[in-house]
Amino acid sequence: MELLVLLILTGLGFFVGRHLEQKHYASIKEREKKTLHIPMMNFGAKQDLPHAHEAQMFVGSVVVANDYFKTLSAALRNLVGGRVVAYESLVDRGRREALLRMKAEAMEWGASQIVNVRFETSNIGGQTGGGLAAVEIMAYGTAIR
Amino acid sequence: MKYVPKEITQEVNTTPVHPLVNLAYLAGTVALVGVAIYFLLGIAADQIARRIGPETEEKIGAVLVQAFPVQETVGANENATDSRLEYLHELAISIQTDLEAVTGEPANYPPLKIGILDTPVENAMVMAGSHLFFTEGLLAAVDSENELAFVMAHELGHLQNKDPLTALGRSLVWITIGSLLGLGQQGSGVVPGAFNLAELNYSRGQETAADEYAIALIAQRYTHGDHSLDFFRRAQENELDLGALNRVAEWEQTHPMSGDRIKKLEAILVEEGVALTGEATPLPEDIGCPNFTCEP
Repeated sequence: MELLVLLILTGLGFFVGRHLEQKHYASIKEREKKTLHIPMMNFGAKQDLPHAHEAQMFVGSVVVANDYFKTLSAALRNLVGGRVVAYESLVDRGRREALLRMKAEAMEWGASQIVNVRFETSNIGGQTGGGLAAVEIMAYGTAIR
Repeated sequence: MKYVPKEITQEVNTTPVHPLVNLAYLAGTVALVGVAIYFLLGIAADQIARRIGPETEEKIGAVLVQAFPVQETVGANENATDSRLEYLHELAISIQTDLEAVTGEPANYPPLKIGILDTPVENAMVMAGSHLFFTEGLLAAVDSENELAFVMAHELGHLQNKDPLTALGRSLVWITIGSLLGLGQQGSGVVPGAFNLAELNYSRGQETAADEYAIALIAQRYTHGDHSLDFFRRAQENELDLGALNRVAEWEQTHPMSGDRIKKLEAILVEEGVALTGEATPLPEDIGCPNFTCEP
């Protein structure tokens, strides 16, 4: 019985999770292409910032949840160590989505470029075991126009 | 410097491997290592069972018996509340006389500790650490001392062959480590399903070896093999004759069905040149009741 529940959860995680992931990646790639013309770049402390009339900070954040299939893969990976392939795509999607949300908002404001982009990551409920296992990824940067 | 937008088409942050392939590799590795550990534990348990000394066996027995619902098990020189235990000890000592001369090897188990289980099932069992249990049902069912002595000698045979330790199997590794570290003393989770130990099964080979051991002891104690097997003969009469199904039923049981077992035992008696007839040694009266006093 317990094995059946595990199988159902894993199957659900695999099929639904994979479908959603592929859909998400398609949307990410499309939007990335559309926003490619706005440069994002970082400057060092002693470098002059580009000339701007106005500057404003924009934040984009996203919370991505784990699915059971990924949990299982990661749990097994935990036994042997090594690259957690199952989580790589999860975090990658999160970072790109957060960046895109930040960029979209900045573009609406009329940004010509975005400087000094940073990422912050925090996990939500993942450490306590059980409950929600998700990661919040936040991207912020200074838009100028 | 002019900014030229350039699309990045390569995925550098994800590994291009199908998640199922990844999972299969992981599961395969874990399963392989698991199986290897399982086999190593099996080998280790076997080696430990063979080499374990009486002192360690005593400790293991102490851990196991904790989880066992028995009123008391007492050694030879302790005061028992039930005087039948003293009788059983004396019987045990009498069948173990000249043990080395009879069986060719000295007793390699710790001193016996005997207890009586309050259940109507007719059975006797032995646990690691020389904890020997008779059930009330068995004591009420035996008709002569010869029968009781045979059952006892059979269990001693198991002890001598270290069968109770071997039967613990892989859990023996954990129990041994636990009892050596003193972990099991607090009744921790080291003892896996202790009550199942009562249903320990021995292989046919182990049973036959214990039977042979028992015959040697009985022949020495009573100088004949008569009456010793009567308990099994009565059990055989109660057994259903399943005809062709007998084979199946027998396969299910580790104790060969009484009929076959008796034939085998009789053959051994003849082979060893043990007299087949003799006087039965009577049991003390009312052995089926505590302190030999049955309430009227």
